[in-house]
Amino acid sequence: MNDESDDPKQTAEQWAAFQKIWTDSFAKMMQLGFSYSPEAAPPEFLRQIRTGIFQALSQSWDQFLRSPQFMEGMKQWMEQAVSFRKMSNDFFTKVRHETQGTAQKDVDAVLVALQQLETRVLNRVEELAAEVDALKTGRKGGTPKKKKRRNRN
Amino acid sequence: MGDQWTKWQESVINETAANAKRLARLPSLLQRAQRVKKGATPSEVVYELDHIKLLHYPTQSPPKFATPLIFVFALVNRPYILDLKPDRSVVNHFVRHGFDTYLVDWGAPSHADRFLTLDDYINGYLANIVDFVRERTDAPRVNILGYCMGGTMSAMFTALHRDPVKNLILLAAGIDFSTRDGLLNLWTRAEYFDVDRFVDAFGNCPAEFLQSSFLLLKPVQNLIEKPISFFEKADDDEAIDDFLTMETWLNDNIPVAGEVYREFVKYLYQQNLLVQNKMPVGKHIVDLRKITCPVLNIMAKADDLVPCVQSMPFNDLVSSKDRHAIIAPAGHIGLAVGSKAQREVWPQACDWLAKRSNAAR
Repeated sequence: MNDESDDPKQTAEQWAAFQKIWTDSFAKMMQLGFSYSPEAAPPEFLRQIRTGIFQALSQSWDQFLRSPQFMEGMKQWMEQAVSFRKMSNDFFTKVRHETQGTAQKDVDAVLVALQQLETRVLNRVEELAAEVDALKTGRKGGTPKKKKRRNRN
Repeated sequence: MGDQWTKWQESVINETAANAKRLARLPSLLQRAQRVKKGATPSEVVYELDHIKLLHYPTQSPPKFATPLIFVFALVNRPYILDLKPDRSVVNHFVRHGFDTYLVDWGAPSHADRFLTLDDYINGYLANIVDFVRERTDAPRVNILGYCMGGTMSAMFTALHRDPVKNLILLAAGIDFSTRDGLLNLWTRAEYFDVDRFVDAFGNCPAEFLQSSFLLLKPVQNLIEKPISFFEKADDDEAIDDFLTMETWLNDNIPVAGEVYREFVKYLYQQNLLVQNKMPVGKHIVDLRKITCPVLNIMAKADDLVPCVQSMPFNDLVSSKDRHAIIAPAGHIGLAVGSKAQREVWPQACDWLAKRSNAAR
Protein backbone atom coordinates (compact mmCIF):
# COMPACT_ATOMS: atom_id res chain seq x y z
CA MET A 1 0.00 0.00 0.00
CA ASN A 2 1.25 3.47 -0.69
CA ASP A 3 1.58 6.31 1.76
CA GLU A 4 -1.68 7.86 0.65
CA SER A 5 -3.81 4.86 1.53
CA ASP A 6 -2.04 4.43 4.87
CA ASP A 7 -2.97 7.89 5.93
CA PRO A 8 -5.73 7.35 8.53
CA LYS A 9 -7.06 10.86 8.02
CA GLN A 10 -7.59 10.26 4.33
CA THR A 11 -9.21 6.90 4.94
CA ALA A 12 -11.55 8.52 7.45
CA GLU A 13 -12.42 11.23 4.91
CA GLN A 14 -13.14 8.61 2.27
CA TRP A 15 -15.33 6.68 4.65
CA ALA A 16 -17.17 9.85 5.63
CA ALA A 17 -17.78 10.72 1.96
CA PHE A 18 -19.04 7.19 1.32
CA GLN A 19 -21.38 7.42 4.31
CA LYS A 20 -22.64 10.79 3.15
CA ILE A 21 -23.59 9.44 -0.28
CA TRP A 22 -25.68 6.67 1.24
CA THR A 23 -27.17 8.81 4.01
CA ASP A 24 -28.24 11.40 1.43
CA SER A 25 -29.67 8.72 -0.79
CA PHE A 26 -31.64 7.11 2.01
CA ALA A 27 -32.88 10.52 3.10
CA LYS A 28 -34.08 11.12 -0.46
CA MET A 29 -35.80 7.75 -0.54
CA MET A 30 -37.46 8.41 2.83
CA GLN A 31 -38.64 11.75 1.50
CA LEU A 32 -40.05 9.95 -1.51
CA GLY A 33 -41.81 7.52 0.80
CA PHE A 34 -43.46 10.34 2.80
CA SER A 35 -44.44 12.24 -0.32
CA TYR A 36 -45.94 9.09 -1.79
CA SER A 37 -49.35 9.66 -3.22
CA PRO A 38 -51.82 6.79 -3.35
CA GLU A 39 -52.66 8.00 -6.88
CA ALA A 40 -49.27 6.86 -8.15
CA ALA A 41 -49.05 3.31 -9.40
CA PRO A 42 -46.75 1.01 -7.36
CA PRO A 43 -44.40 0.18 -10.29
CA GLU A 44 -43.72 3.88 -10.81
CA PHE A 45 -43.01 4.35 -7.11
CA LEU A 46 -40.62 1.39 -7.12
CA ARG A 47 -38.87 2.81 -10.20
CA GLN A 48 -38.21 6.05 -8.35
CA ILE A 49 -36.73 4.15 -5.40
CA ARG A 50 -34.61 2.11 -7.82
CA THR A 51 -33.31 5.29 -9.47
CA GLY A 52 -32.30 6.61 -6.06
CA ILE A 53 -30.44 3.42 -5.20
CA PHE A 54 -28.64 3.38 -8.55
CA GLN A 55 -27.63 7.00 -8.14
CA ALA A 56 -26.09 6.28 -4.76
CA LEU A 57 -24.47 3.13 -6.07
CA SER A 58 -22.86 4.89 -9.03
CA GLN A 59 -21.57 7.70 -6.81
CA SER A 60 -20.07 5.17 -4.41
CA TRP A 61 -18.48 3.26 -7.30
CA ASP A 62 -17.06 6.42 -8.79
CA GLN A 63 -15.51 7.26 -5.46
CA PHE A 64 -14.14 3.74 -5.09
CA LEU A 65 -12.67 3.75 -8.62
CA ARG A 66 -10.78 6.91 -7.69
CA SER A 67 -9.51 5.59 -4.36
CA PRO A 68 -5.84 4.68 -3.79
CA GLN A 69 -7.02 1.25 -2.66
CA PHE A 70 -8.54 0.53 -6.07
CA MET A 71 -5.57 2.01 -7.92
CA GLU A 72 -3.17 -0.12 -5.89
CA GLY A 73 -5.28 -3.22 -6.57
CA MET A 74 -5.41 -2.36 -10.27
CA LYS A 75 -1.64 -1.93 -10.35
CA GLN A 76 -1.07 -5.34 -8.78
CA TRP A 77 -3.57 -6.99 -11.09
CA MET A 78 -1.91 -5.40 -14.13
CA GLU A 79 1.52 -6.50 -12.96
CA GLN A 80 0.31 -10.06 -12.61
CA ALA A 81 -1.35 -10.00 -16.03
CA VAL A 82 1.83 -8.63 -17.64
CA SER A 83 4.02 -11.19 -15.85
CA PHE A 84 1.76 -14.01 -16.94
CA ARG A 85 1.78 -12.78 -20.52
CA LYS A 86 5.57 -12.50 -20.49
CA MET A 87 5.90 -15.96 -19.06
CA SER A 88 3.64 -17.45 -21.73
CA ASN A 89 5.49 -15.49 -24.47
CA ASP A 90 8.82 -16.83 -23.23
CA PHE A 91 7.45 -20.36 -23.01
CA PHE A 92 6.08 -20.36 -26.56
CA THR A 93 9.25 -18.77 -27.92
CA LYS A 94 11.27 -21.52 -26.33
CA VAL A 95 8.97 -24.24 -27.64
CA ARG A 96 9.12 -22.87 -31.18
CA HIS A 97 12.86 -22.44 -31.10
CA GLU A 98 13.31 -25.98 -29.80
CA THR A 99 11.26 -27.26 -32.74
CA GLN A 100 13.24 -25.10 -35.20
CA GLY A 101 10.17 -22.90 -35.72
CA THR A 102 9.73 -19.15 -35.97
CA ALA A 103 8.52 -17.43 -32.85
CA GLN A 104 6.65 -14.13 -32.57
CA LYS A 105 9.82 -12.64 -31.15
CA ASP A 106 11.67 -13.40 -34.41
CA VAL A 107 8.92 -11.80 -36.49
CA ASP A 108 9.09 -8.72 -34.26
CA ALA A 109 12.86 -8.54 -34.71
CA VAL A 110 12.44 -8.62 -38.50
CA LEU A 111 9.75 -5.92 -38.29
CA VAL A 112 12.01 -3.68 -36.22
CA ALA A 113 14.91 -4.23 -38.62
CA LEU A 114 12.67 -3.35 -41.58
CA GLN A 115 11.39 -0.25 -39.86
CA GLN A 116 14.91 0.94 -39.09
CA LEU A 117 15.91 0.29 -42.70
CA GLU A 118 12.87 2.24 -43.90
CA THR A 119 13.74 5.16 -41.60
CA ARG A 120 17.33 5.23 -42.85
CA VAL A 121 16.22 5.16 -46.52
CA LEU A 122 13.63 7.89 -45.91
CA ASN A 123 16.17 10.06 -44.11
CA ARG A 124 18.57 9.66 -47.02
CA VAL A 125 15.80 10.47 -49.53
CA GLU A 126 14.98 13.59 -47.54
CA GLU A 127 18.60 14.69 -47.59
CA LEU A 128 18.83 14.04 -51.33
CA ALA A 129 15.57 15.93 -51.90
CA ALA A 130 16.96 18.88 -49.95
CA GLU A 131 20.17 18.82 -51.99
CA VAL A 132 18.24 18.65 -55.29
CA ASP A 133 16.07 21.49 -54.09
CA ALA A 134 19.13 23.55 -53.22
CA LEU A 135 20.66 22.85 -56.62
CA LYS A 136 17.42 23.80 -58.38
CA THR A 137 17.07 27.10 -56.60
CA GLY A 138 20.75 27.77 -57.22
CA ARG A 139 21.37 28.55 -53.60
CA LYS A 140 23.96 27.00 -51.38
CA GLY A 141 22.43 24.79 -48.67
CA GLY A 142 18.81 25.46 -49.71
CA THR A 143 16.12 25.06 -47.11
CA PRO A 144 15.23 21.40 -46.72
CA LYS A 145 11.87 20.27 -47.94
CA LYS A 146 9.31 19.01 -45.48
CA LYS A 147 9.49 15.40 -44.42
CA LYS A 148 8.90 12.94 -47.22
CA ARG A 149 5.64 11.11 -46.90
CA ARG A 150 5.85 7.52 -45.93
CA ASN A 151 4.13 5.19 -48.30
CA ARG A 152 3.90 1.83 -46.64
CA ASN A 153 2.79 0.04 -49.83
CA MET B 1 -59.93 3.04 -0.49
CA GLY B 2 -61.53 0.27 -2.56
CA ASP B 3 -60.94 2.25 -5.75
CA GLN B 4 -57.29 2.80 -4.86
CA TRP B 5 -56.82 -0.85 -4.18
CA THR B 6 -58.34 -1.75 -7.58
CA LYS B 7 -56.03 0.79 -9.30
CA TRP B 8 -53.01 -0.69 -7.54
CA GLN B 9 -53.98 -4.16 -8.56
CA GLU B 10 -54.56 -3.04 -12.14
CA SER B 11 -51.15 -1.38 -12.41
CA VAL B 12 -49.37 -4.41 -10.99
CA ILE B 13 -51.21 -6.73 -13.37
CA ASN B 14 -50.47 -4.45 -16.35
CA GLU B 15 -46.79 -4.26 -15.47
CA THR B 16 -46.57 -8.05 -15.10
CA ALA B 17 -48.27 -8.55 -18.47
CA ALA B 18 -45.94 -6.00 -20.11
CA ASN B 19 -42.90 -7.78 -18.65
CA ALA B 20 -44.12 -11.13 -19.96
CA LYS B 21 -44.58 -9.58 -23.40
CA ARG B 22 -41.06 -8.07 -23.27
CA LEU B 23 -39.59 -11.38 -22.21
CA ALA B 24 -41.24 -13.14 -25.14
CA ARG B 25 -39.70 -10.63 -27.56
CA LEU B 26 -36.11 -11.11 -26.38
CA PRO B 27 -35.17 -14.14 -28.58
CA SER B 28 -36.19 -12.30 -31.76
CA LEU B 29 -34.03 -9.34 -30.77
CA LEU B 30 -30.91 -11.47 -31.03
CA GLN B 31 -31.52 -11.93 -34.75
CA ARG B 32 -32.21 -8.25 -35.08
CA ALA B 33 -28.91 -7.43 -33.40
CA GLN B 34 -27.08 -9.38 -36.09
CA ARG B 35 -28.75 -7.38 -38.84
CA VAL B 36 -27.67 -3.95 -37.58
CA LYS B 37 -26.34 -1.86 -40.47
CA LYS B 38 -22.98 -0.18 -39.98
CA GLY B 39 -23.02 3.26 -41.56
CA ALA B 40 -26.18 4.95 -42.83
CA THR B 41 -25.11 7.34 -45.59
CA PRO B 42 -24.18 5.76 -48.95
CA SER B 43 -20.41 5.72 -49.33
CA GLU B 44 -17.64 4.43 -51.59
CA VAL B 45 -14.05 3.50 -50.78
CA VAL B 46 -11.80 5.82 -52.78
CA TYR B 47 -8.41 5.10 -51.24
CA GLU B 48 -6.84 2.16 -49.45
CA LEU B 49 -3.48 1.79 -47.80
CA ASP B 50 -2.60 -1.14 -45.54
CA HIS B 51 -5.62 -1.47 -43.20
CA ILE B 52 -6.78 2.04 -43.86
CA LYS B 53 -9.73 2.99 -46.01
CA LEU B 54 -10.94 6.40 -47.03
CA LEU B 55 -14.70 6.59 -47.51
CA HIS B 56 -16.26 9.21 -49.74
CA TYR B 57 -19.91 10.20 -49.48
CA PRO B 58 -21.09 10.88 -53.02
CA THR B 59 -24.12 13.08 -53.63
CA GLN B 60 -26.38 13.44 -56.63
CA SER B 61 -25.82 17.17 -56.87
CA PRO B 62 -22.30 18.64 -56.96
CA PRO B 63 -20.94 19.93 -53.62
CA LYS B 64 -21.77 23.52 -52.69
CA PHE B 65 -18.34 24.19 -51.20
CA ALA B 66 -14.95 23.95 -52.86
CA THR B 67 -13.01 22.73 -49.81
CA PRO B 68 -13.50 19.03 -48.99
CA LEU B 69 -14.07 17.89 -45.41
CA ILE B 70 -12.21 14.94 -43.89
CA PHE B 71 -13.45 13.21 -40.74
CA VAL B 72 -10.63 11.75 -38.65
CA PHE B 73 -11.83 9.28 -36.06
CA ALA B 74 -10.04 7.71 -33.06
CA LEU B 75 -7.97 4.55 -33.34
CA VAL B 76 -9.87 2.75 -30.57
CA ASN B 77 -13.26 2.20 -32.23
CA ARG B 78 -14.86 1.95 -35.65
CA PRO B 79 -15.75 5.30 -37.21
CA TYR B 80 -19.38 4.56 -38.11
CA ILE B 81 -20.49 6.21 -34.87
CA LEU B 82 -20.29 9.40 -36.93
CA ASP B 83 -22.82 7.93 -39.35
CA LEU B 84 -24.85 5.66 -37.10
CA LYS B 85 -28.38 6.14 -38.40
CA PRO B 86 -29.93 8.51 -40.96
CA ASP B 87 -31.40 10.69 -38.21
CA ARG B 88 -28.29 10.42 -36.01
CA SER B 89 -25.49 11.05 -38.44
CA VAL B 90 -22.91 13.81 -38.16
CA VAL B 91 -21.68 12.89 -41.64
CA ASN B 92 -25.18 13.29 -43.06
CA HIS B 93 -25.44 16.83 -41.63
CA PHE B 94 -22.35 17.94 -43.55
CA VAL B 95 -23.27 16.01 -46.72
CA ARG B 96 -26.74 17.62 -46.75
CA HIS B 97 -25.17 21.01 -46.14
CA GLY B 98 -23.23 20.61 -49.40
CA PHE B 99 -19.75 19.60 -48.21
CA ASP B 100 -17.71 17.08 -50.18
CA THR B 101 -17.23 14.68 -47.27
CA TYR B 102 -14.65 11.96 -46.57
CA LEU B 103 -14.18 9.68 -43.56
CA VAL B 104 -10.97 7.95 -42.50
CA ASP B 105 -11.46 4.35 -41.37
CA TRP B 106 -8.17 3.36 -39.71
CA GLY B 107 -9.09 -0.33 -39.69
CA ALA B 108 -7.83 -2.86 -37.14
CA PRO B 109 -4.06 -3.12 -36.84
CA SER B 110 -2.60 -6.61 -37.04
CA HIS B 111 0.34 -7.82 -35.00
CA ALA B 112 2.62 -6.69 -37.84
CA ASP B 113 1.48 -3.11 -37.14
CA ARG B 114 2.53 -3.10 -33.51
CA PHE B 115 5.54 -0.89 -34.26
CA LEU B 116 3.51 1.79 -36.04
CA THR B 117 3.96 5.10 -34.27
CA LEU B 118 2.05 8.37 -34.16
CA ASP B 119 4.55 9.55 -36.76
CA ASP B 120 3.35 6.82 -39.14
CA TYR B 121 -0.28 7.73 -38.55
CA ILE B 122 0.09 11.52 -38.63
CA ASN B 123 2.97 12.23 -41.00
CA GLY B 124 2.41 9.05 -42.97
CA TYR B 125 -1.16 7.88 -43.38
CA LEU B 126 -2.99 11.13 -42.62
CA ALA B 127 -0.61 13.22 -44.72
CA ASN B 128 -1.09 10.79 -47.61
CA ILE B 129 -4.87 10.93 -47.24
CA VAL B 130 -4.90 14.73 -47.18
CA ASP B 131 -2.70 14.86 -50.30
CA PHE B 132 -4.91 12.29 -52.02
CA VAL B 133 -8.07 14.29 -51.30
CA ARG B 134 -6.41 17.52 -52.44
CA GLU B 135 -5.38 15.92 -55.71
CA ARG B 136 -8.75 14.23 -56.20
CA THR B 137 -10.78 17.36 -55.61
CA ASP B 138 -8.28 19.81 -57.05
CA ALA B 139 -8.56 21.79 -53.83
CA PRO B 140 -5.45 23.42 -52.36
CA ARG B 141 -6.66 22.87 -48.81
CA VAL B 142 -9.01 20.64 -46.82
CA ASN B 143 -11.20 21.01 -43.74
CA ILE B 144 -10.52 18.51 -40.97
CA LEU B 145 -12.91 17.31 -38.27
CA GLY B 146 -11.24 15.14 -35.62
CA TYR B 147 -13.18 13.21 -32.99
CA CYS B 148 -11.71 12.14 -29.63
CA MET B 149 -8.22 10.68 -30.17
CA GLY B 150 -8.66 11.56 -33.86
CA GLY B 151 -9.09 15.19 -32.74
CA THR B 152 -5.80 15.10 -30.85
CA MET B 153 -4.12 13.63 -33.91
CA SER B 154 -5.77 16.22 -36.19
CA ALA B 155 -4.48 19.02 -33.96
CA MET B 156 -0.97 17.55 -34.16
CA PHE B 157 -1.27 17.20 -37.94
CA THR B 158 -2.42 20.80 -38.35
CA ALA B 159 0.45 22.06 -36.20
CA LEU B 160 2.98 20.06 -38.24
CA HIS B 161 1.49 20.67 -41.71
CA ARG B 162 -0.20 24.04 -41.58
CA ASP B 163 -0.63 24.76 -45.30
CA PRO B 164 -3.11 22.08 -46.31
CA VAL B 165 -5.63 22.74 -43.51
CA LYS B 166 -8.22 25.46 -44.10
CA ASN B 167 -10.42 24.94 -41.05
CA LEU B 168 -10.06 22.63 -38.07
CA ILE B 169 -12.95 21.26 -36.03
CA LEU B 170 -12.19 19.31 -32.87
CA LEU B 171 -14.80 17.15 -31.26
CA ALA B 172 -14.16 16.05 -27.66
CA ALA B 173 -10.42 16.00 -28.30
CA GLY B 174 -7.96 15.51 -25.45
CA ILE B 175 -5.38 18.30 -25.36
CA ASP B 176 -4.49 19.08 -21.73
CA PHE B 177 -4.09 15.81 -19.84
CA SER B 178 -3.18 17.37 -16.50
CA THR B 179 -6.74 17.06 -15.20
CA ARG B 180 -7.63 14.36 -12.68
CA ASP B 181 -11.36 14.69 -13.40
CA GLY B 182 -11.48 11.74 -15.74
CA LEU B 183 -10.92 8.23 -14.45
CA LEU B 184 -8.70 7.39 -17.41
CA ASN B 185 -6.39 10.23 -16.38
CA LEU B 186 -6.13 8.74 -12.90
CA TRP B 187 -5.73 5.13 -13.95
CA THR B 188 -2.92 5.90 -16.39
CA ARG B 189 -0.77 7.74 -13.82
CA ALA B 190 2.84 6.60 -14.14
CA GLU B 191 2.98 5.27 -10.56
CA TYR B 192 0.06 2.93 -11.21
CA PHE B 193 0.40 1.99 -14.87
CA ASP B 194 3.68 0.88 -16.43
CA VAL B 195 2.83 1.30 -20.10
CA ASP B 196 6.27 0.14 -21.26
CA ARG B 197 5.95 -3.25 -19.60
CA PHE B 198 2.37 -3.53 -20.83
CA VAL B 199 3.21 -2.85 -24.51
CA ASP B 200 6.37 -4.96 -24.39
CA ALA B 201 4.32 -7.92 -23.15
CA PHE B 202 1.12 -7.51 -25.17
CA GLY B 203 2.27 -5.81 -28.38
CA ASN B 204 -0.88 -4.09 -29.59
CA CYS B 205 -3.20 -2.84 -26.87
CA PRO B 206 -5.95 -5.51 -26.88
CA ALA B 207 -9.48 -4.41 -27.81
CA GLU B 208 -10.88 -6.30 -24.81
CA PHE B 209 -8.66 -4.31 -22.45
CA LEU B 210 -9.90 -1.03 -23.88
CA GLN B 211 -13.50 -2.26 -23.85
CA SER B 212 -13.36 -3.27 -20.18
CA SER B 213 -11.69 0.01 -19.23
CA PHE B 214 -14.51 1.95 -20.91
CA LEU B 215 -17.14 -0.23 -19.24
CA LEU B 216 -15.56 0.35 -15.85
CA LEU B 217 -15.82 4.13 -16.22
CA LYS B 218 -19.49 3.87 -15.30
CA PRO B 219 -20.02 0.35 -14.00
CA VAL B 220 -23.50 0.85 -12.53
CA GLN B 221 -24.86 2.51 -15.67
CA ASN B 222 -23.18 0.09 -18.08
CA LEU B 223 -23.65 -3.19 -16.25
CA ILE B 224 -26.90 -2.73 -14.32
CA GLU B 225 -28.97 0.21 -15.53
CA LYS B 226 -28.45 -0.37 -19.24
CA PRO B 227 -29.71 -3.98 -19.31
CA ILE B 228 -32.71 -3.01 -17.17
CA SER B 229 -33.52 -0.07 -19.41
CA PHE B 230 -33.13 -2.34 -22.47
CA PHE B 231 -35.60 -4.81 -20.98
CA GLU B 232 -38.10 -2.11 -20.11
CA LYS B 233 -38.02 -0.79 -23.66
CA ALA B 234 -38.15 -4.20 -25.30
CA ASP B 235 -41.62 -3.44 -26.68
CA ASP B 236 -40.61 -0.11 -28.20
CA ASP B 237 -39.28 -0.79 -31.70
CA GLU B 238 -37.52 2.52 -32.17
CA ALA B 239 -35.82 2.42 -28.76
CA ILE B 240 -34.65 -1.14 -29.40
CA ASP B 241 -33.32 -0.18 -32.80
CA ASP B 242 -31.34 2.69 -31.26
CA PHE B 243 -30.08 0.44 -28.47
CA LEU B 244 -28.92 -2.35 -30.77
CA THR B 245 -27.20 0.04 -33.17
CA MET B 246 -25.40 1.72 -30.30
CA GLU B 247 -24.40 -1.54 -28.62
CA THR B 248 -23.12 -2.96 -31.90
CA TRP B 249 -20.78 0.01 -32.17
CA LEU B 250 -19.79 -0.03 -28.49
CA ASN B 251 -18.78 -3.69 -28.73
CA ASP B 252 -16.94 -3.23 -32.00
CA ASN B 253 -13.64 -2.19 -30.37
CA ILE B 254 -10.39 -2.64 -32.20
CA PRO B 255 -6.85 -2.98 -30.85
CA VAL B 256 -4.50 0.00 -30.93
CA ALA B 257 -1.02 -0.33 -32.43
CA GLY B 258 1.35 -0.93 -29.50
CA GLU B 259 3.75 1.95 -30.10
CA VAL B 260 0.94 4.44 -30.68
CA TYR B 261 -0.62 3.34 -27.40
CA ARG B 262 2.72 3.70 -25.63
CA GLU B 263 3.26 7.20 -27.03
CA PHE B 264 -0.28 8.29 -26.27
CA VAL B 265 -0.20 7.12 -22.66
CA LYS B 266 3.37 8.15 -21.92
CA TYR B 267 3.63 11.50 -23.69
CA LEU B 268 0.07 12.67 -23.20
CA TYR B 269 -1.57 11.03 -20.18
CA GLN B 270 1.60 10.78 -18.11
CA GLN B 271 3.83 13.65 -19.24
CA ASN B 272 1.24 15.99 -20.78
CA LEU B 273 3.70 17.16 -23.45
CA LEU B 274 1.20 18.51 -25.99
CA VAL B 275 0.21 21.60 -24.00
CA GLN B 276 3.88 22.27 -23.27
CA ASN B 277 4.59 22.24 -27.04
CA LYS B 278 7.05 19.40 -26.48
CA MET B 279 5.13 16.49 -27.96
CA PRO B 280 7.46 14.41 -30.18
CA VAL B 281 6.03 12.94 -33.38
CA GLY B 282 8.87 11.18 -35.14
CA LYS B 283 11.64 13.72 -35.64
CA HIS B 284 9.28 16.62 -35.15
CA ILE B 285 8.01 18.44 -32.09
CA VAL B 286 4.38 19.56 -32.12
CA ASP B 287 4.01 23.24 -31.38
CA LEU B 288 0.32 24.10 -31.11
CA ARG B 289 1.18 27.80 -31.51
CA LYS B 290 1.82 27.06 -35.17
CA ILE B 291 -1.90 26.48 -35.75
CA THR B 292 -3.26 29.62 -37.40
CA CYS B 293 -6.34 28.40 -39.26
CA PRO B 294 -9.87 28.96 -37.90
CA VAL B 295 -10.71 26.45 -35.19
CA LEU B 296 -13.96 25.23 -33.72
CA ASN B 297 -13.62 23.30 -30.49
CA ILE B 298 -16.72 21.26 -29.64
CA MET B 299 -16.87 19.76 -26.15
CA ALA B 300 -19.35 17.70 -24.17
CA LYS B 301 -20.33 18.92 -20.73
CA ALA B 302 -20.96 15.44 -19.31
CA ASP B 303 -18.01 13.73 -21.00
CA ASP B 304 -16.53 11.05 -18.74
CA LEU B 305 -13.91 9.92 -21.28
CA VAL B 306 -12.47 13.28 -22.30
CA PRO B 307 -13.66 15.77 -19.67
CA CYS B 308 -14.40 19.27 -20.91
CA VAL B 309 -11.40 20.69 -19.03
CA GLN B 310 -9.16 18.46 -21.10
CA SER B 311 -10.27 20.05 -24.41
CA MET B 312 -10.98 23.57 -23.18
CA PRO B 313 -7.38 24.96 -23.20
CA PHE B 314 -6.93 24.26 -26.93
CA ASN B 315 -8.30 27.61 -28.12
CA ASP B 316 -5.84 29.47 -25.87
CA LEU B 317 -2.87 27.44 -27.06
CA VAL B 318 -3.20 28.11 -30.80
CA SER B 319 -2.32 31.31 -32.66
CA SER B 320 -5.56 31.34 -34.66
CA LYS B 321 -7.47 34.59 -34.47
CA ASP B 322 -10.72 32.94 -35.49
CA ARG B 323 -11.48 30.45 -32.72
CA HIS B 324 -14.78 29.31 -31.32
CA ALA B 325 -15.97 26.84 -28.74
CA ILE B 326 -19.25 25.03 -28.27
CA ILE B 327 -20.03 23.21 -25.04
CA ALA B 328 -22.88 20.81 -25.62
CA PRO B 329 -25.01 19.36 -22.82
CA ALA B 330 -24.11 15.79 -23.78
CA GLY B 331 -21.74 12.93 -23.07
CA HIS B 332 -18.78 11.77 -25.13
CA ILE B 333 -20.87 9.68 -27.51
CA GLY B 334 -24.04 11.72 -27.17
CA LEU B 335 -22.11 14.53 -28.82
CA ALA B 336 -22.18 12.55 -32.03
CA VAL B 337 -25.44 10.64 -31.82
CA GLY B 338 -27.59 12.39 -29.20
CA SER B 339 -30.83 13.90 -30.46
CA LYS B 340 -30.09 17.24 -28.78
CA ALA B 341 -26.65 17.43 -30.41
CA GLN B 342 -28.26 16.55 -33.74
CA ARG B 343 -30.75 19.38 -33.32
CA GLU B 344 -28.49 22.05 -31.84
CA VAL B 345 -24.75 21.36 -32.21
CA TRP B 346 -24.36 20.05 -35.74
CA PRO B 347 -26.45 22.65 -37.61
CA GLN B 348 -24.35 25.24 -35.74
CA ALA B 349 -21.08 23.51 -36.72
CA CYS B 350 -22.22 23.23 -40.36
CA ASP B 351 -23.01 26.96 -40.42
CA TRP B 352 -19.63 27.76 -38.85
CA LEU B 353 -17.82 25.79 -41.53
CA ALA B 354 -20.01 27.10 -44.35
CA LYS B 355 -19.16 30.70 -43.39
CA ARG B 356 -15.47 29.88 -43.68
CA SER B 357 -15.64 27.92 -46.91
CA ASN B 358 -15.53 29.15 -50.50
CA ALA B 359 -18.42 28.29 -52.76
CA ALA B 360 -17.66 25.69 -55.42
CA ARG B 361 -17.20 27.02 -58.94
